[in-house]
Parts: sequence; C-alpha cells; structure tokens
Amino acid sequence: MLESEYQEQNRFFLNMGPQHPSTHGVLLIVLEMNGEYVLDPQPVLGFIHRMHEKMGESRPCPGFMPNTGRMDYVCALPYNHGYVSLIERKAGIEVPERAEYIRVITSELNRIASHLLWLGAYLLDLGAFTPILYGFDDREHILDILESVTGSRLTYSYYRFGGVCQDIDEKFVERTRAFIKRLRKRYGIYEKLVTKNIIFIKRTENIGIVSPDMALRYGMTGPNLRGSGISYDIRKNEPYSVYPEFDFEVPVGRQGDCLDRYMVRVREIEQCLRIIEQALDRLPEGPIRSKVPKNIKLSPGDCNFAVEAARGELSYYLIGDGTSTPYRLKVRVPSYSNLSCLPELGRGILLPDLVSILGSFDLVIPEIDR
Amino acid sequence: MDNIIKNFKGFLIDQGFDAVETDYEQRGYHLEVVLTVTQVREFAKKAYELGFYLVFVAGFQVLADPETPSPHSGLAVVYQYARHDRQYRIKACALVPDSLEIPSISDIYQGADWHERETRDFYGIVFSGHHNLKPLLMADMDVDVHPLLKEEAKLKSLDAVSWPSEAPESTE
Amino acid sequence: METISTLPPELIRMVISAIIVITFLFLNAIMMGYAERKIAGHVQRRPGPMEVGSHGILQMIIDGIKLVAKELIIPFNVDRTLFRVAPLLSFTPVILPFLVIPFSEKLQARDLNMGLIFIVTMGSVNVMACLVGGWGSNNKYSMFGAMRAVAQAISYEVPILLSILAVILMCNTFSLKGIVGAQQKIWFVFLQPVAFLIYVVAGLAETNRAPFDLPEAESELTAGFHTEYSGMGFSLFFLGEYTNMFIVASVATVLFLGGWHGPHLPYGEYLGVVWFLLKVYFLLFLMIMVRWTYPRVRFDQLLNFSWKYLVPFSLANLLITAVVVKL
Repeated sequence: MLESEYQEQNRFFLNMGPQHPSTHGVLLIVLEMNGEYVLDPQPVLGFIHRMHEKMGESRPCPGFMPNTGRMDYVCALPYNHGYVSLIERKAGIEVPERAEYIRVITSELNRIASHLLWLGAYLLDLGAFTPILYGFDDREHILDILESVTGSRLTYSYYRFGGVCQDIDEKFVERTRAFIKRLRKRYGIYEKLVTKNIIFIKRTENIGIVSPDMALRYGMTGPNLRGSGISYDIRKNEPYSVYPEFDFEVPVGRQGDCLDRYMVRVREIEQCLRIIEQALDRLPEGPIRSKVPKNIKLSPGDCNFAVEAARGELSYYLIGDGTSTPYRLKVRVPSYSNLSCLPELGRGILLPDLVSILGSFDLVIPEIDR
Repeated sequence: MDNIIKNFKGFLIDQGFDAVETDYEQRGYHLEVVLTVTQVREFAKKAYELGFYLVFVAGFQVLADPETPSPHSGLAVVYQYARHDRQYRIKACALVPDSLEIPSISDIYQGADWHERETRDFYGIVFSGHHNLKPLLMADMDVDVHPLLKEEAKLKSLDAVSWPSEAPESTE
Repeated sequence: METISTLPPELIRMVISAIIVITFLFLNAIMMGYAERKIAGHVQRRPGPMEVGSHGILQMIIDGIKLVAKELIIPFNVDRTLFRVAPLLSFTPVILPFLVIPFSEKLQARDLNMGLIFIVTMGSVNVMACLVGGWGSNNKYSMFGAMRAVAQAISYEVPILLSILAVILMCNTFSLKGIVGAQQKIWFVFLQPVAFLIYVVAGLAETNRAPFDLPEAESELTAGFHTEYSGMGFSLFFLGEYTNMFIVASVATVLFLGGWHGPHLPYGEYLGVVWFLLKVYFLLFLMIMVRWTYPRVRFDQLLNFSWKYLVPFSLANLLITAVVVKL
C-alpha cells in the first residue's frame, strides 16, 4: 500500500517535443513518468496538419500532384507513384513500359536515400554522430542523380499521368551504375562503424519487441512489420508497376526488436540496388508518356491503390463522381499506423529505450500529420 | 487465388454479410462488403480471427436521402482490410445513422484508435465505445470544426459516387 | 620597482603562475575545441571549420567572442542564485588542480605531499556544478541530467580511486613529483596495465565524455543539465569540460605514462614539459576519437559496467599488487 502510494506520488509528466532533438520533427509525446521509467507515452499529433485530403478534394486531380511529394519529404517518389497509378487505374490510362522502368529506378533510388538518412538519424538518436555524415555523403550522390532528371532534390513531383515528365539519358544510367558500385564498396564501412559496434548492439537488441500479433492489431507495415518476421512487401505481395519482372528478396527479421528493424532496412538497401541494376539492364526503348486527355474524368465509384513507400504501405483511396475533381481522397500513410503502437510498446521502459524505439520506427512527422 | 476469394465470399454470405466480388484491376480491392451498423464489430472480429489487418478507417459524405429503406445521415465509414500472406483486400462500408453514432472497433484493432479519432475530427462521426475520442489531428479547441464536411450544393447522392450497379457482379 | 620589491616574492610567484594557468586554460580550451572539430571533421570525411583564418584556425576565437557577447538568458522561475553559481562552480575547481600538476621537474607550482588526493577531491567538486545547475534550472530535463551526473560520478569515482591506489602502493607517496620520479626506469603503464585501462575508461565517464555523456545526452535530454544556459554560462561549462579532460589526461600521464620522462632534451628539467604535453594530448586525441566513433550507452548499462566489471577488476588488481609488493 505504502509502496503504491509512493509510486503514485512520484508520477510526473514530461513533454517530449515538439522541439525535442529525437522526435524528428514536430511531434509531441506526453510521457507519464516515474524516475527514468516511462509509464505511459501518449503521442500528440497535428502540429503540422495541413489537411492534404481537403486540398485533394478541392482541385482537379493533376493539381494534387505536388502535394504528394510534401507528405513524406524524405521519400517522395513512391508517393508520386501511388498517386499517378491511382488516377491511371481510375481513368484507365495506359503507361508505356519505359516510363514504368524509369519510375521503378527513381523510386528505388529514393528509397535508398531514405534508408541512408534514417540510418544516420537513428544512430544520432543513439548518440553516435559520425554515421549520419557518412549517410549524407552517399545520399548526396542520389540527390544529385535525381536532381538531374526530376529538377528537384527533395519534394519531387516527377511522375505524370501516363508516364514521367522527363526522359533519362545515357549519363543518368552511367551515374547510377557508378553509384551502385560506390555504395556496395561502402557496406564494409557501415558494418565496421555501426552494425558490429558493441554499444549499438547493446542499445538495440531485445528492445522494443513488436510481436507479429501486435503488428497485425496496429496495422504496421513496411520494415517495421518485416522486422517482426512477417514477409509482407507490397512490391511482392500485391505487385504493381513492373516489379514482378525483377528478382529481389524481402528481408525479414527474427523477433521484431530494434536491431531487427535496423537489419531489415540495411539489407533492403542491397535489394533496392539489385532492382535498379536489373532495371537499368533491361531498360526498354520507347515513349515515356502516353496520350492523356487534357481533362481527366474520374468516373463514379471508388478505387484504391497501394504502393510500398520507404516506411510501409501507402494507400490512396479515391471516390470519383464523374468530374475531374476527386469527390473524396483518402491517403493512408504508413507511419501513422506504425506510431500508433507506441503507447502499448512504450509502457514501463526507460527513457533512452523510448528514444531508441522511436528512432527505429523511422518516423516522418509531416507524413503522419498530413 | 480466385478460389480463395470465392470461398471467403461464400463464408461471409453464410455469416449474413452482404459481400460482392469486384474487379481488382479496376478498383484495387477484391471484395466489397456493405455493413449495417450492427455488423461493424462482428465483421471486424471475423476479420481479426482470419488474420486480416486493418489498412485504414475513413469517412465520406454524400447527400442524405430519406427515401432509401435505411435512413442515414449522409455520412459513411469505409474500412479497408488486407492480408499479409496473400494478395487480398476488402473494402467494407457502413452508412452512419442519424444519431451519427457507429460502434468503435478500436478494442479489436487497436490500430483503429487513431483512424477513428481522425474520422471524428474530419466528419464528426461518433464512435461509441471508443476510450478516448479526443481531437487528434485537429486542435482541442476545434472540437466542433469538421473540415471535410461539404456544403449542401457540392454534395452528391450515394448512387452518383458509386460504381454503376451493372458493374461486374458475379452470381456465384 | 620599489613597490614590487617590497611585495613578498611568494605573492609575485602566485600572481604570475595564476596568470599563466588561466591563460593556458583558455588556450587549451580553444585548442581542444578546434582539435575536436577538426578531428571530428576528418573522422566524418569532411574538412571541418575552414572559413575563419587559414583552415579555420580562428574559428574558436570568433565563437568565443560570440559566446561572450551573447545575452545570458535567465528563464522564468529558476532559482537565480543557484543558476548563476553553477557555471562558476564548474569552472573554479578545475583551475585548482593546476597548482600541483608537475609539468616538468621544475615546473610545478606546489609539490603537496598529498597532491593526488587534492586533485581527486577537486574533481569531485565538479559534479556539484551539474547538480546545482540542473536543480536551479527548474527544468525536468536538467534535473534528469543532474541526477544522472551524480549517480555516474559516485559510481565512477570508486574504480578511479582503486586504480590510483594500485599505483600508490607501488611508490608509497601521494606527491605527484614523487610518483613521476618513481617511473625513472619503467613507466607504470607496463607494470599496471589493468589499472591504466580502468583509469582511462572511468576517466572518460568522469569527464562526461561520449560514450558516457549521459548527463547531457542531447538526443534524450536535449542538453541535460545545461539545457537552460546560454552565452557565458554555457561557455563556462564548456571550458570546465575541456579543462577537466586535460586534468584527467595529465593525471593519467603522471600516474602511468611517466610524466615528463622521455628522450633527453637540453634543459631537461624545464623542457620535460614537451614530453608531458605530448603524452597528455595523445590521450586527449584518443578521447576525441572515441567520442566520434561510439554511440552512447544506456544509463543502467553504464552503472552496471562500473559496479559489475570495473570495481571488481580494480579490486582484484589492487589485491594482487598488494601481495606482489609485500613479497
């Protein structure tokens, strides 16, 4: 009795965020704590809520294109990809094969950039300063390559309904191949610096274990789900674009702790490189855009399109009403569901472990808040 | 694959759900289920038992139509479920009655918690049985502001935003 | 001229050495800050500061001026006295150990016969600064940092003392000069490798350097005990940290690396300082390299490491030393 009273008296609240270094953006987590132990973490969202869904409903569908790149700014091209594919499915637009190949190549490059940035940021959360600069170093090459075709470095809106906006040239292919070679050489550095680091392993192993059932209940997807040992990747399980033509594996973890989530992402980088390599080898010639009516009519009825973004399943759900403006556009973002398990996962752990778990989820707050 | 969809559809119809197979290439999901308010929880339980995960919960608004057999407020909730082990996506849709109340499934799928709070923010749909139906994306003071509700003039009837009923409908 | 000659020579000596020490201390902090940023830069495959002066050599001076010119923000509702005292408390005790450090045979302000005890005592005052600053800031993150600092200092002082004791047993004196003198033939690092390792690890923890920088762990506690400090308040903590690092490294040099001993130099009794500083900066270089390589350990892992590994090992080492010395 006395003990519990003592416990009760020692509870206090700690606001982690919205300007905390390891919440990666404007996320507030209200922590109910006892000493350094977290009793109940409750995320508070909406600091940068911009109502993208309303914007989608209030303008003709091409006008929403730039918005897609601004939800998940770290990995914007899969967001582009999902949206154009949705409209293409809805309006029955054919896409030339070359355009699909270009989409896959650029999306995968963007995914690697996202994973590299995450790797650095995660290690920064754990207190190691150096890996983020190594990650940035490699990521810079990707950004340069993407800049040469998309014209932007972060918030891309490169894809168009029925194709892409600009063709890739010999130089792009050359630079991409050079980058693949370079990144493969860098694996050893990352392995020595991070993966085999004893402190890193101590900080991530057996921490924040997400069981498969828990992942199911919360609708987790992406590397966070695969870390729990479930092989679920939309690129494999619900193939879209030209992904079925490529030979790649879906890496999975064993028990769903932070280390597994880390390993899954690191091994995914290699799979992305494999996809890019195959796509470059088989890149077909041909047009990059098909004829698309100027005013795309969205026929009545609903339609869904899911793609694998860097953080998990991204679903666009659209209800059309016969005009060119969507009647309803719902964006299902992966981090939203991934983060929602935090109150359950973060009960009774130490504050540094909470930071480790948050980092391992690879959150992008503008994507959660939309 | 088709076999599984058929089996599952038959199973759902046996259980009393109104399930229609759809063209995946056209719509992006395999099965459309129309739920009544009382079936929402029942369906979620079944889906959980069968190993589906909840993709999202969303709302949408159409013109309220008092002529239809089941009077509704014009609001509807869409649930989407999918599976990890095979390509299989279900869209379940329920019309919200005039009381604006619909049972919460956040105790079956904890992931629905935030999706329901978000839907309440945007449309004002009350999920009864939800443990913490506070504004999530909207600010606390904007508890009565529902940004996705449309003006009367812009609303369309449910039929105007649905696939035409002669769309592929298998008769089994 | 007359006034100077009437002053007691002792006082003149004191004033001059105080000026030298404080100048050295600021210079050391500037140099260390520059070295830290340059080394970090090269570890991370970037050039580091390059803009101000040749290869950014004036960067730290500019930064110092910026920090001095900054407003000292005192947040609402803090304990003003404690808040102001804490930076001074962190800075003052780290000057005093310079009194007894033997830079070379003749360059030593005072050869106290218990100099080592003096240094260790002053080192533990430093943790008071963290506690006072953290408590006075009226901020929960600062409080976390302060509590961590205290727990960490308590658990790491034990292995430090035990490893020092092993050396003391071998040379029977607390005088730093005496200890260096005893290493004329062989440095104690070869006789006491375990004690040296324990001292270096515990010293890292004692100076709150990564991977043991838990009191300020910026990804967990924003900046720990000095979250609320700005301008000069912050820079005094910063100075304190670098000076403390220097002291820990010079104690290690005195105890294990043979102090000023090295290949013969002309005016060896004065120029021994070159060997001394080389050894100290070599240790500091190691500390910087460690910081930019490793992630931060968790708090309970840190304490476990001290009580489960360092303390038993240093006790065993002490016991063996005692037995061997007795025989």
